Amino acid sequence: MQAFFAILIAAVLVGLNAFLYIRNRQTPVPEGCEDIKPDCAACGIGDCALRKKFMEMKEEENGNR
Amino acid sequence: MNLFTLFISGMLINNIILSKFIGMCPFMGVSTKMESAVGMGLAVIFVVFCASVLSWGLYYGVLVPLELEYMKLITFILLIAAFVQFVELFIKKNSPSLYKQLGIYLPLITTNCAVLYVALDNITQKYSLIETIVNSIGVPAGFMLMLCIFSTIRERLRGNDVPKAFEGNPIAFIIAAIMAIAFSSLSGLV
Repeated sequence: MQAFFAILIAAVLVGLNAFLYIRNRQTPVPEGCEDIKPDCAACGIGDCALRKKFMEMKEEENGNR
Repeated sequence: MNLFTLFISGMLINNIILSKFIGMCPFMGVSTKMESAVGMGLAVIFVVFCASVLSWGLYYGVLVPLELEYMKLITFILLIAAFVQFVELFIKKNSPSLYKQLGIYLPLITTNCAVLYVALDNITQKYSLIETIVNSIGVPAGFMLMLCIFSTIRERLRGNDVPKAFEGNPIAFIIAAIMAIAFSSLSGLV
């Protein structure tokens, strides 16, 4: 019974997470916030959306030089 | 431990960045400008507070009665991630101005280990709900304080002549180390 509850709790939380993640991605960014420039240079988290934006911005800057 | 001591201890004496070295990633990454530091600090205070209270409720309300205490790590991680997604979704829909100020930092908070540390620490130390609330405000307040102090130092550094080999992160790490040494002198206070 304990294992059943453990799996149930984990499944509920994973499901909630997935649902909120999908809803969050589907929700459009408010007007005027589409082009907010991130300001994080040192963080090394590769799959962070902000870091990707930051690296693109850097590449653009380097390309313009 | 009385509540005031707990708050001061979490904020200054056992500062999460300078004594535990937790949350170093946003500390180094979002401390280049004062404005960013304040935004990130406020977002961290809000998320840590809410996530800790929710985690405390989940632990004592669900996991303990079902004797599933060993699941606290995985459930807290999932709860924090879900909560941050919810906050981002809520702010996107209801408050564009707040999103403009804080929204950009929310994805960073999901991966901020400080949030998980505070949630787990409240359980490990067997804090009551009131103590959890005080600790969950004190610790991120200390995080914000350090972030602001560090950002002002880095802003001043930008105008100074730093040797080329130390430019950027190397000099920032040296400053962080000096700050850690300075703050370690507070360790016997409480």
